[in-house]
Amino acid sequence: MRKRKQIPALTGIISILCLFVLCLNGCTPKESREKLSVAIPESAHVQDPENNYYIKWIEEKTGFDLDITIIRQSSGTGFLDALFSSDADIDIVMFGEDFTITQDELSDYVSSGDIYVNGDRIYYENTGSSKGDGVGQILWINYNWLKALSLSIPENTDDLKAVLTAFKEADPNGNGIKDEIPMTGSYEEYSLSPVEFILNSFIYNDPYHSRFGLNENSNDLYAATDEFRAGIEYCHELYEEGLLDDSIWDGNLKLLTEVCNSDRDIVGAFTTSSISDVIYQGNPEILARYIHVPPAEGPDGERNSLYIQKAPEIGAIITERSNKKEQAEKLLSLMLTPEASLIARYGEEGVDWTYSDGSDVSVYGGVSTITTINYIWNTSQNKHLNGIGPMNVPEEYLEGVTWNGVNSDFEYINGRAYMGYEDYLPKVNVFHPYDDKLSEYMDTALEEFIRGKKDIGSDKEWKRYLEGLQH
Amino acid sequence: MEKISGRVAALILAIALALSGCGDAAGTEIKNINVITDNSTPKELYEKALKEDTLVVYTVSTRVVDTKEAFEKAYPGLFVEVRDLRSPNLIEEVEKGDGSGTPVCDVVLCNDNSGEFKSRLVDTGIVVPFLPEDIGIHMEADTANGMVSFLNEAEILFYSAKEYSECPIENIWELTEEKYKDRVYMPNPLRSFSTYAFCASSLDHSAQFEDAYEAYAGEKLKLNGTENAAEYFWKKVSENIIFTNSSDEVTEALNDGKADFGWCVSSKLRLAGVGYSLAPVYKLTPFSGCRTSYAVMMTNGCKNENSAKLFIRFLLGEKDGQGAGLKPFCTAGTWSVRGDVPDGNDVPLSDIDLITPNQQKLIDDKEKSVAFWTDILKGN
Repeated sequence: MRKRKQIPALTGIISILCLFVLCLNGCTPKESREKLSVAIPESAHVQDPENNYYIKWIEEKTGFDLDITIIRQSSGTGFLDALFSSDADIDIVMFGEDFTITQDELSDYVSSGDIYVNGDRIYYENTGSSKGDGVGQILWINYNWLKALSLSIPENTDDLKAVLTAFKEADPNGNGIKDEIPMTGSYEEYSLSPVEFILNSFIYNDPYHSRFGLNENSNDLYAATDEFRAGIEYCHELYEEGLLDDSIWDGNLKLLTEVCNSDRDIVGAFTTSSISDVIYQGNPEILARYIHVPPAEGPDGERNSLYIQKAPEIGAIITERSNKKEQAEKLLSLMLTPEASLIARYGEEGVDWTYSDGSDVSVYGGVSTITTINYIWNTSQNKHLNGIGPMNVPEEYLEGVTWNGVNSDFEYINGRAYMGYEDYLPKVNVFHPYDDKLSEYMDTALEEFIRGKKDIGSDKEWKRYLEGLQH
Repeated sequence: MEKISGRVAALILAIALALSGCGDAAGTEIKNINVITDNSTPKELYEKALKEDTLVVYTVSTRVVDTKEAFEKAYPGLFVEVRDLRSPNLIEEVEKGDGSGTPVCDVVLCNDNSGEFKSRLVDTGIVVPFLPEDIGIHMEADTANGMVSFLNEAEILFYSAKEYSECPIENIWELTEEKYKDRVYMPNPLRSFSTYAFCASSLDHSAQFEDAYEAYAGEKLKLNGTENAAEYFWKKVSENIIFTNSSDEVTEALNDGKADFGWCVSSKLRLAGVGYSLAPVYKLTPFSGCRTSYAVMMTNGCKNENSAKLFIRFLLGEKDGQGAGLKPFCTAGTWSVRGDVPDGNDVPLSDIDLITPNQQKLIDDKEKSVAFWTDILKGN
């Protein structure tokens, strides 16, 4: 009996000791875990970064705790200016979605010594959001207007002019007002200028490489050819007839986005490298309005598709003031591994995606490598950071991902368009480097010729332009 | 607002089950829900709908965007949100919504050919049919058989009008010839319901494939260990096929001149109206494709019941069939289910070489068919 009475007492003491030990065990590692202070931009697509699956996975893998600060502004430089003029203790700043910074902008902070540089590494890259190099410009045309006017999609430059003329004259949006803009664009990116698209129907026109030729002709300036001049003449005709909108030179991307998404349905055609550059996410009605059109054939049978080399975006930087640089590097390097990058792009393996058995077709038409179970990219979710931060998804997975079945999905719409353009891409492996000064000269001359400030029909003006190319 | 409450739905189910004594042999409960026939006038529904929220429509056809726009014009103050999904994804989303207790949408438009829509959404009572009597009297007799099928189409072979002025083949076995290597396009049958309906149903037509082979080759088909001539055909022709995600990619390949032939839904023929170089193959030995149809249903317990009913009325063309909601679907490559509305296609369905899928057989044979097509796709 005594024993029986003693056992609970002993058990109680042991239990208390165990609890104490467990508490110590549970607390000690937590307290001794390194803390890294990470600034992450706010995103409508990330529900709760503190309890995010990917963040938890990183913490588990590294043994660090992430102390997250949410950035509530969209200007990358604005945030860094404020950060570096304060004494805020931030080890890592991540970029992504609308919160971006260019390499040029970043170099100022490198010069001022605010950003940690280790050898050649200034930042940690993000190459994960879409397929890599390839088609750089797509023409989108108003399908409803084609239907309304019983027009066919243009196959060549003559068709294109006829379609744009009908768009201008025949009130395709049916509101009784001549408010249609046949073809518009923006100066902000070459891919947003339909002029660049049209010139590719006359000769290969690559503004990203200062309009030089390709491969063995990579030192030939195609912008000095008669074909290029013929292309400008054609663009000038379109402009004179009110078929090309002034926004191509005067309008920013915001304006282009507004007019293309307008409920008034006033845009006939525009160009982008991705439909998502211009059309708002989650707007199937507007997306259904536009269809891609394959490259138009020029008068001499020329038909080219602009090639683009996609530069990685800046995913994250480490601040010079951080006293945990080594830990920060470990964390960011982990994020660049395929294992981490696949979570960062597609979510939890086995739940949101699996490796494909090869029985699916990828969104780009090839054999699938990743089958998405829950397609969570650009949705409100808490599995990853929706492209914020560094990532390096191997190309085989970016190209091999299956379609989510949503007809208005940007990647699918782009993928289909790319398939219609890929046959017209140059077979190229040697590019002329981009020449800032020369490109600026050509861009200005193009505008002046097309808008009629200079006469493209004048041999004298053309000669003067050619001479300018030499300087 | 007249909601289909859980109790009412349960009552309908109980009555329906008691009356029909339904239930399949395997023991899966089949809930045979009666067609809902609310005979409120459009005006009455509109007044009630104005008190409801934005109507959410899940669809596999982008054409419903035009219906939405016409609907919002016809009924100011009502708004429709359209989500356009591929059939398997639509079913998954609607099932998930039902599982969570909150339907993700009010109205569903889906291809109902593969049996998936019927077995997973209709037989389970996740979606329910609504068919006003004044419209129902104009529709085909089997239209209201558990589903409101509002449009007939076909999964059919097309040829590239860019490459050929007339169809260069008469027999389906010609597609197995070396010259068509990578020149035949087809949506992945495991991801496209209408393609699956055609591919899986074709396996029931072995004899016709054998006869067609004899007509083509002048000798009997040697099956080389395969029992089914249709299976043999698909194994052989798949060596020439490029599989795609959707019919859209097929039409684009035909138009771009990448494809000589492609199977896709017949309604894509409307793209010829904007210059796509594609033409349907109406005559082919033994057949060119299969009949398909689209259903429109309400989700059970949907949030915006009156808006949903009004929208479905509108989509079905209203009492006289002349309503603007049906117009976007009366295009080339479609056939009307209403006796008072003409077909959108010049050639009647009965004049086209098509098979008609047996939906129950597709459901019963699903495991076998999926295994067969998975092997084909992996080997492609």
